[in-house]
Amino acid sequence: MKEIIIPTIVLGLAGLAFSILLALLSKKLKVEENPQVRKILELLPGLNCGACGFSGCRAYAEAATKERSTFSGCLPAGEEVNKKIAEALDLTGCVSSSAKVVICHCSAKSKEKKASSKYIGPNDCRSANISSGVIDCAYGCLALGDCINVCPTNALELKDQAIQVDFKKCIGCGKCLKACPRNLFELVPIKNNLPVYNIACANKETALAVKKVCSKGCTGCTLCTRVENSPYQMKDNLSTLDYNKPNDPTSLEQGRSKCPTKCIIKIS
Amino acid sequence: MKDLILIFISTLLINNLVLSYFLGICPFLGVSGKIESAFGMGMAVTFVMTLATSISWLIYNLILVKFGLFYLEYVVFILVIASLVQIVEMFIRKYSSSLYQSLGIYLPLITTNCAILGSALFMVTRNYKFLEAVVFGFSGGLGFSLVLLIMAGIREELQYVNVPKVFRGASLTLITASLLALIFMGFSGLISS
Repeated sequence: MKEIIIPTIVLGLAGLAFSILLALLSKKLKVEENPQVRKILELLPGLNCGACGFSGCRAYAEAATKERSTFSGCLPAGEEVNKKIAEALDLTGCVSSSAKVVICHCSAKSKEKKASSKYIGPNDCRSANISSGVIDCAYGCLALGDCINVCPTNALELKDQAIQVDFKKCIGCGKCLKACPRNLFELVPIKNNLPVYNIACANKETALAVKKVCSKGCTGCTLCTRVENSPYQMKDNLSTLDYNKPNDPTSLEQGRSKCPTKCIIKIS
Repeated sequence: MKDLILIFISTLLINNLVLSYFLGICPFLGVSGKIESAFGMGMAVTFVMTLATSISWLIYNLILVKFGLFYLEYVVFILVIASLVQIVEMFIRKYSSSLYQSLGIYLPLITTNCAILGSALFMVTRNYKFLEAVVFGFSGGLGFSLVLLIMAGIREELQYVNVPKVFRGASLTLITASLLALIFMGFSGLISS
């Protein structure tokens, strides 16, 4: 009987001692967490995308409570949540960001962009951009997926060497803008589920140079700018769109159908 | 004094807990991706290991030996380590929030680090005195950090190398670990008695 009782008592007492110690210390060493921080954390989407400029949602919530400011607001959360965050901080009338998505200014597929040399080296765009051997075009997508690696919501996808953006998943955090060594991405506003027109080329060379390296590039033929009330404008041998202005859908569509290389694409 | 130095060097290099006893392999492979986090993990393990071996020594020699309950060492040591990690975490959180932010995520991982339980059990089987046990715990933790840092350094460099597809990821990490273990075998003749 003694063999059972003594170890039971010793182990029980040791466990009890440690648990009492832990309970006492947890009360004594309790760190008060600001209830406001917790409230903001619950409102935030919790993606930790870092688009606000802080390391994550918690860091943003703590900084917002401390400085009593929403800073640039939470990009992926949308207008309503940002309003609620401002209310939680007793800051009303704060401006918040509207929904934005990202588009990629190169949609040439593997057969369309020419590659006269083979690239052997680290498997990322940043390194490949230095040697520029993956494709002949000095402006186009290298298709090694640096942007896919940084995307927090898996909205980007490589399909036959061309980047495709899933607007349903894209939160407009803009991480791919920084990741792409060729600056192919642009943040554009998306409204009422209207389709977004994307000039899927970034090559600023003249028609002959573009034709040499890619069959889908913008040659700067200016056909799209010649339709009625055309929203398209020429800049550096390249057609551009001003996304901050509301553009007429019919003229947008007309310009698109005029493009001889089909490099203006409609994404809905 | 000579004994203490011998224990220090032998646990740091020759009988390294990770590379010759293969304890704590999980954090060794898991947290060795970046030098920064490897350093944090190493420091946290050193801290907890030193405390855990010394407190385990006290409990073992003052309580368990007295009642003849040697077989309870596993349960009691786990109890000590788990509560110690909790207490350390609370203390750090209260008094140094910057240290908590850099160590915080690694502390719960340490509870299940078998190198710490291993060091407490070795301390018993080798009949160390109290001071020897403290030095053993400290040098064991330092040895763990050393190996973790070496591994993290190698793995950071490996990211810039074009590795053949079959070796990518876990397989190359395991091969690196085994080569490191082989290299550490070279220390085995360092101290001759």
